[in-house]
Amino acid sequence: MRRRVCAALGVLAVGLVLELGLVLASGVARGHDGVVHDSAAEAAAHGAGDGRIAAAPAAAGAAPAPSAGLPFPVEIAPRFALTDHTGRAVTQADFAGRPMLVFFGYANCDSICSVALPRLAEALELMGPAGAGLAPVLITIDPARDTVAALGPALARWHPRLIGLTGPEAALAEARAAFQVEVSQVAEDPAGNPIYAHGSFLYLVGPEGRVLTLMPPILGPERIAEIVAGYL
Amino acid sequence: MRSVLAAAMAATGLALAAGGAGAAEGERVQVTGEVIDTWCYYSGVMGAPEAVVGTSHHTCALWCAAGGIPVGMLAEDGTVYMIVKWKGEAAVADNTLLTVQSHELTADGILHVRDGINYLFVEEVVADAGITNETHEDYFVVPGFAIPEPE
Repeated sequence: MRRRVCAALGVLAVGLVLELGLVLASGVARGHDGVVHDSAAEAAAHGAGDGRIAAAPAAAGAAPAPSAGLPFPVEIAPRFALTDHTGRAVTQADFAGRPMLVFFGYANCDSICSVALPRLAEALELMGPAGAGLAPVLITIDPARDTVAALGPALARWHPRLIGLTGPEAALAEARAAFQVEVSQVAEDPAGNPIYAHGSFLYLVGPEGRVLTLMPPILGPERIAEIVAGYL
Repeated sequence: MRSVLAAAMAATGLALAAGGAGAAEGERVQVTGEVIDTWCYYSGVMGAPEAVVGTSHHTCALWCAAGGIPVGMLAEDGTVYMIVKWKGEAAVADNTLLTVQSHELTADGILHVRDGINYLFVEEVVADAGITNETHEDYFVVPGFAIPEPE
């Protein structure tokens, strides 16, 4: 694919940002090196690279001690009033008693979502029965495309247990504010659809509705599974 | 440079993660290092770690940061800090980090270690030396497709 990046090194030019979606679509979404994967497992395996990602960011030494019991230092009250991919109105109260793993993104996102969601899916598999009670939740940042009807099939590509939440923009903005997630439109794809930059940490919310930890989505599925399991 | 005490504790890792009041409240640190694209640095899909930092990787690092890849700081001792909060911003991993991607910074903030991950809450940038790591001399542009093709 031809790239028309009109920026030299060290310069963030407007053209570069406009090309963002294309580059990310052919980069991160495809293993960030142009490789197209047929499955989440294959993508995760490819993303494992030389093994660094599996250990990242604790790249050296033995497995770190779990930090369950230590509060995570962010003031987040995970609240939302949205509609799930089956059309059911839900709030955080509907998940009371269940841990949640929450990610903000959108089903058509070809950048960080296509990194995070396969890893999340693989982590669910790796946790097995220990993670059976975990509710993996995607809160959309693109309600225009992530409608109730669209979300289910889109998320099923990654994992059948993924729960998609959408709703009016005002309700989604309240959810983003609660989780301190920032969203901005950075470009349009060739079809004229928006491309968003958005916060991408994974939020592990405990059964009592308290944020237990955040995880960078670059972690390999093994690390995600290991960390989550340490809190369950 | 990060304090000797902080460096020693980070080296042991478990010391900070093991618990206690310090672990709960975090530790004030000063970190000097390069703002990096953590995805390419850890995944290895673009090349060796030394090739995906500095000038050679700056363009890609901008794209990754704009696309939501969390930004990190690679300290002089090789420790990577995940930036959770950026000075004065309410959001987690605020996108204003784009403006300092690949820069060599000295940042004051609070370090929390959770599950072996160094989470840095940056409160103040003490020094910004700009982009100083001229890796393009050895690696040109990584990835190569960042070079524009002639029209």
